[in-house]
Amino acid sequence: MLILHHLQPYHWAVAGVAIGAITLLLLWTTNQRLGISTGYENLCGLVVKAPYFRRSEIRGSNGWRLPFLGGLLLGGFLSAALSGGFAPFWDLGMFDRVFGWDPAGKLAWMFVGGLFIGFGTRMAGGCTSGHGIFGVSNLERASFESTLAFMAAGIVTSHLIYGFGGI
Amino acid sequence: MGAWLYAAFGTAFGWVLSRSGAADYDFVQGMFLFKNFQLYGIIGCAVAVTAPGLWWLKRHGRTASGAALVVKPKPRHPGNIVGGVLFGIGWSITGMCPGPILVNLGEGKLYALGALAGTLAGAALFGVLYERFPSWLRLPALKVGTGQR
Repeated sequence: MLILHHLQPYHWAVAGVAIGAITLLLLWTTNQRLGISTGYENLCGLVVKAPYFRRSEIRGSNGWRLPFLGGLLLGGFLSAALSGGFAPFWDLGMFDRVFGWDPAGKLAWMFVGGLFIGFGTRMAGGCTSGHGIFGVSNLERASFESTLAFMAAGIVTSHLIYGFGGI
Repeated sequence: MGAWLYAAFGTAFGWVLSRSGAADYDFVQGMFLFKNFQLYGIIGCAVAVTAPGLWWLKRHGRTASGAALVVKPKPRHPGNIVGGVLFGIGWSITGMCPGPILVNLGEGKLYALGALAGTLAGAALFGVLYERFPSWLRLPALKVGTGQR
């Protein structure tokens, strides 16, 4: 069950085919390579003036990456609104059961994790979508290496957080 | 028109991430702790569909409007692995990769605000430090453009 309204999730094959179809349609209709984490550079570029954020590949892609990111937000909102209503909440599943931290603690924990995500995906040049799905599907060596690295690091970190004995 | 199309693609993608478990803390931990096959199935299935489709589209060589198809491979350098490790740690801590951060926020999960702030701060820090990284990372040379393509 999902944390969101305790919904039953789609079968993995349905979700996987849908993601593949969206990836291919995006490329076929708009000539854009699926990738989400670069969009955070576009957001940074709106306020941070470092030369890194003035690259043409950033300034020239605001027109598609920013509405795409906005769509992700809207997709989540519609998913909640059409399945029991939109009502902000703090439930964090097994994290609550094991650690039981209050909202301030969760925000701090998430902020620290976010620093790793923002810094790491920019250094890696992509995330689960751009490397894991598109790059691997395109048989790019950089993407195979990066995907193996982030999957392995996630596996080790979660076992460190939740113990190797099993929860 | 173009912006609306991209927003529609993002909305469809966000909906699937929301309803499949890809934007769910417990499913992400279930994947990393080998307790739940769901997200391995999703990623594997997405690649199984995208790989042959991409091969065919590249062979066809045209977009829907007849323009030449452009697929630029990502540069390969040691940062792919070093950055990948850092990202994997962050994915495990938050239970979110970059797309689901926004999806979770849209769903109303308030803790995703912390992840969003952290991710923006991490990306900003990376950009500010870009020209000072050690040479062994062999990150691509910085080309500052005009915004015109």
